Amino acid sequence: MTFKRLAIAFSIAVFLLYAGLILSIFYFCKGNLFLATLLSARTLFSIKLSLFTATVVTVMSVFFAIPSAYALSRYKFFGRQIIDTTLELPMIVSPVALGALILIFFNTPVGGLFQEGGVRIVFTVYGILLAQFVTTVGIATRLIKAAMDEIPQQYEQVAKTLGASPLKAFFTVVLPLSKRGIIASGVLTWAKALGEFGATITVAGSMALKTETLPIAIFMRLANADIEGTAVLVLIIIGLGLGTLYGVKFFAGKRTYV
Amino acid sequence: MPLIELKDISKYVLHDINLTVQDNEILVLVGPNGAGKSTILNVIAGLIDYEGSVHFDGKDMNGIPTHKRGVGYLFQDLALFPHLTVAENIAYGLKVQGYDNSVIKTRVDELVGALHIGKLRDRYPINLSGGEKQRTALARAIAPFQKILLLDEPTASLDAQTAKYLRAELCSLLRKFNMTAIFVMHDLLGAEEIADRIAIIHKGRIEQVASPKEILFEPKTNTVYEFIGMPNILNCDQCRVLSSGLIEVQSGDMRMILPYEGDTISKIAISPHDIYLSDTKPPGPALNRYSGIVSDIIPMRSIVRIRVNVGGNSLMVEMSRESFGEMDLEIGKEVFIIVKLRRLRYFQI
Repeated sequence: MTFKRLAIAFSIAVFLLYAGLILSIFYFCKGNLFLATLLSARTLFSIKLSLFTATVVTVMSVFFAIPSAYALSRYKFFGRQIIDTTLELPMIVSPVALGALILIFFNTPVGGLFQEGGVRIVFTVYGILLAQFVTTVGIATRLIKAAMDEIPQQYEQVAKTLGASPLKAFFTVVLPLSKRGIIASGVLTWAKALGEFGATITVAGSMALKTETLPIAIFMRLANADIEGTAVLVLIIIGLGLGTLYGVKFFAGKRTYV
Repeated sequence: MPLIELKDISKYVLHDINLTVQDNEILVLVGPNGAGKSTILNVIAGLIDYEGSVHFDGKDMNGIPTHKRGVGYLFQDLALFPHLTVAENIAYGLKVQGYDNSVIKTRVDELVGALHIGKLRDRYPINLSGGEKQRTALARAIAPFQKILLLDEPTASLDAQTAKYLRAELCSLLRKFNMTAIFVMHDLLGAEEIADRIAIIHKGRIEQVASPKEILFEPKTNTVYEFIGMPNILNCDQCRVLSSGLIEVQSGDMRMILPYEGDTISKIAISPHDIYLSDTKPPGPALNRYSGIVSDIIPMRSIVRIRVNVGGNSLMVEMSRESFGEMDLEIGKEVFIIVKLRRLRYFQI
């Protein structure tokens, strides 16, 4: 067997692993049950809540990540290395620990001031947003920084010699050239937020029709030994995630400049 | 009033650089790698911090950011924006400076016409050849009506023929648009073709700023002399026009017949590597062939320099170590030399 065939065989094996797992869901998915579970008020609420929080968190994360990534990619400043390393916190610390960190913070005098200030975070939708934001913003920044690192700084220098202010050079050169990286970061952020469980349940709890996102709903159904219901919800979350990923890859992957 | 004035500029390798560039002048900075040539351009463009001061038309530019200096810059690797077409690249500077669409269209049309890239206007840089990229980058650099153009080895990546052609075209464009230009180049021969003046930079210092002829015939320092290839400078004692385009020149006891349109030559520069040396008498007519005596042999790393006394002149000849090894040369031995006429350079007072 040539190396090429061997490598392709490995990639197919990885695909079959996931495909096999997904196909196994259909063993428990009966047509009527699927529709009944999908159209139940509780499931529809979970889907809406998950889509809403994942989308809001993606916008927030990318909004913070773009300028942060640019600063880390282009400027040398005191503490840059520390910030750069800290961005990996969501990757090295489990989501439950991140959620616990948020809870601990809101139990300190400073965190208490936030809660008393009128915005209740813990056990609310705001808690879901904060938990998902904390778990995604570092990764979004890291991904966008990697895209910006690939853009030679000389493009910006040229833009400046042609009369573009640093801000204009950023919007007319850096942003368009890192578009693919930003879209990829946004998609992964959205997918990660959609599937986020540990931090969300720690901060927002698992209240039906209030803070029950899709992953939490799956957990709750599994805890109640409702395998059929779990399978349906898993199918929904996989459909949403993979559908978005394939869609974005199809639409964003058409033009390359280099 | 000089258009560009650098006073006591220091940065990285640069030490107390003082340089003046006149309006509409083409100045070429020449020097070895790491001499500080590109740093000078970056200082003028305001791309890096520096000590000292930069003035344009007497106006102090210190503290003025790059985008407000009005300096076009053609970088060595061009850096065409890959997400924009040729026309969009050229229009970029005009757009960000807020010009009307009608002005932008007229200017882009004028430049694509002048640089013969009209057919390429909708192409992306990835689909352009090296020469087409150069033209696009040049059009982009001068599009926003810049008065000053900085060019960092703009023809370095091209083959010799294309580079020569593009240099000539560049020059005529610069004259047409009344621009002041500072080139950075490695190649002294290329610099001679286009420069009003040449500045020789070495280890962050300006060794000499002068016209190409002065640099060649009157190098002020040993560094310049070595950089220009240690040419043999022959003083011409007599000149006689033989026919249209041919002149006979006498320097000491050497008589040379040269292709030359004028009627007098005061000095001739012959590069040491433009002289053939043989230990046997070459066949053929004796025209521009001389016998001489080896007076010195200086072995270098990859070449050997041989000083030969010819008709009262002392000529330095350069040859490879391999060629030297094939000849049985020693001091006092008679040798024969042939001068390559095509590479001779003349100085007329």
